[in-house]
Amino acid sequence: MSAEGDAAGANAVSFTLEGRITAGTAAPIWKTATETLARNPNRPIVVDASRLEYVDDVGIALLFDLIRRDRPPNAKVEIRDLAPNLAALIGAYDPKKFVPPAPERAHIGIIEQVGRATDQQIAYAQRMLGFLGSCTRALGLAFTRRGVLRWGEVLEVATEAGANAVPIVLLIGFLMGVIIAFEIGLVAQQFGAVIFVVNGVGVAMLRELGPLMTAIVFAGRTGAAFAAQIGTQKVNEEVNALNTFGLDPVHFLVLPRLVAATLVLPLLSVFADVVGLFGGALVMVGFDIGFVQFYYQLLDAVTINDFLIGLAKAAVFGLALAAVGCERGLSTGAGATSVGLSATSAVVTGIVLIVVIDGIFTVLTS
Amino acid sequence: MSEPSTTQNVATDKAPAVSVRGLRMGYGSRVLLEDASFDVERGEIMVILGGSGCGKSSLMKNMIGLYQPMAGDILIDGQSIVQARGEDKAALQRKMGVMYQSGAMFGSLNVLENVRFPLDQFTDLGLDAKNLTARMLLEQVEMAYAEALMPGELSGGMLKRAGIARAMAFGADILMLDEPSAGLDPITAANLDRTILSLRQNLGFTFVVVTHELQSIFAVADRAIMLDPVSRSIIARGKPAELRDHATDARVRQFFNRQPDAAVEKAEA
Repeated sequence: MSAEGDAAGANAVSFTLEGRITAGTAAPIWKTATETLARNPNRPIVVDASRLEYVDDVGIALLFDLIRRDRPPNAKVEIRDLAPNLAALIGAYDPKKFVPPAPERAHIGIIEQVGRATDQQIAYAQRMLGFLGSCTRALGLAFTRRGVLRWGEVLEVATEAGANAVPIVLLIGFLMGVIIAFEIGLVAQQFGAVIFVVNGVGVAMLRELGPLMTAIVFAGRTGAAFAAQIGTQKVNEEVNALNTFGLDPVHFLVLPRLVAATLVLPLLSVFADVVGLFGGALVMVGFDIGFVQFYYQLLDAVTINDFLIGLAKAAVFGLALAAVGCERGLSTGAGATSVGLSATSAVVTGIVLIVVIDGIFTVLTS
Repeated sequence: MSEPSTTQNVATDKAPAVSVRGLRMGYGSRVLLEDASFDVERGEIMVILGGSGCGKSSLMKNMIGLYQPMAGDILIDGQSIVQARGEDKAALQRKMGVMYQSGAMFGSLNVLENVRFPLDQFTDLGLDAKNLTARMLLEQVEMAYAEALMPGELSGGMLKRAGIARAMAFGADILMLDEPSAGLDPITAANLDRTILSLRQNLGFTFVVVTHELQSIFAVADRAIMLDPVSRSIIARGKPAELRDHATDARVRQFFNRQPDAAVEKAEA
């Protein structure tokens, strides 16, 4: 763009657009042109386009931006000698359609925010209750009527969610046993009460850490997968296809996952218990407590109830995580982003839920 | 004062916009097309047509450098996109705006942000300038009203139109459109055809359009090539009306006259 100068006649300001104006070259030209217009708000502007060689869509937008501006009648912008085809192209746009929209209400009061959040939570609670009702009906039918539950799919889900998760559960369980034994052992050693570390490790692993850590792994690995699988099916309209066949998505997609998760999580929890206790026993060797001594102290320290409470917790955790994962999947909106959000939400909601359930169990069983 | 400009607003390069030379392409050991050669001249609207599964979209993806051909070469403005690597290849790819069959909108950005995306990435334009450019492009495809919507809220036809606007956004003068009018209502499809013709006439764009919509082919195509999955070759090339009326190959006439297989077999008998 060449420098501005006084145009022939009146007090008009003129500048020339020349060469090629494209997406790659337009930025400085656009900036200078708009600054020229801003500096001369009450003078007519003449733009000489006779030396323009080529413009792309960004160049067209620049030309249109110059003529669309709201200026006084005696200070209009005139583009001279523009190729007729480009003039026709620019003339096809209606400046009124490009008026910036009115800014949205910037500030929302705290009361309105609280109200909106409450409204969303009530709607979510209603959806969740409706979903849980559907799940309960589906589970009732599954165990009272033959053929409702597809055991083949239950086995498939159980393999993926259970058998394939064994290595990670073993690793986490073992490390938890080692860490707990070591941490408690160091403190107990100062009081000469090392033998009671076995009690701590036993109760902690069987009642709390075995089921809880397994459930956390399960939430990240399987809860998210359930949400993503069903969410993708929702986005691909597979859920709509099931509905139009008269099939209930809860029966078809949710039920096998609920049953598989409820059965598989206690089994995984047992694995975590065993390797956790083994890890604890291994550490106790370093505190002069042998394996046999560990075994007999463990038998004194824990009861079958501790083990069964852990199993019951794990089953409820499995049911809750599968329900949350499936519900998040079925609530997925449209698009790939929604699937990601559903998976994330399934993990976060699932972990919060299992901690709450764990608290309830602790109160009820203490 | 100088004389009025007589520019037709077309790029001045002499080389064809796209030149395909002895192309052999496919997936793994499955060959879809053998020894295909054709040029797309600057400012031309070339249509690639053929039945479903004949490799139209794959040919386009070879042309834009997403797939590597098994043999042969593809020149963009005289430079090989097959041989190019790294930034050289990216620079050639930026000469082409591409609209994919599904629209391929980024799910986390709204429509305006999607169309503005290439301008955000590659230019120093101010936000107002970028927004105005993006809005004008959306206006061209009659999508200005949907600029604040997210891709998940759009219908298939809206996604395609937004995809075309984004393809045009970075000043690419070669536009590759994969099934642009499939799934659009007749009015929107006709408007889209008009937009393509207008862009070619006024901005000198070159178009490669993959389609099998007969009305669009006759409305916009300067030339067409037809792919055949059986012979894995280009079985026809020329102006659509000539191909319809004078093609020697029965499959070409069948395609243009929209005849079922049985009718052709009966005519040949």
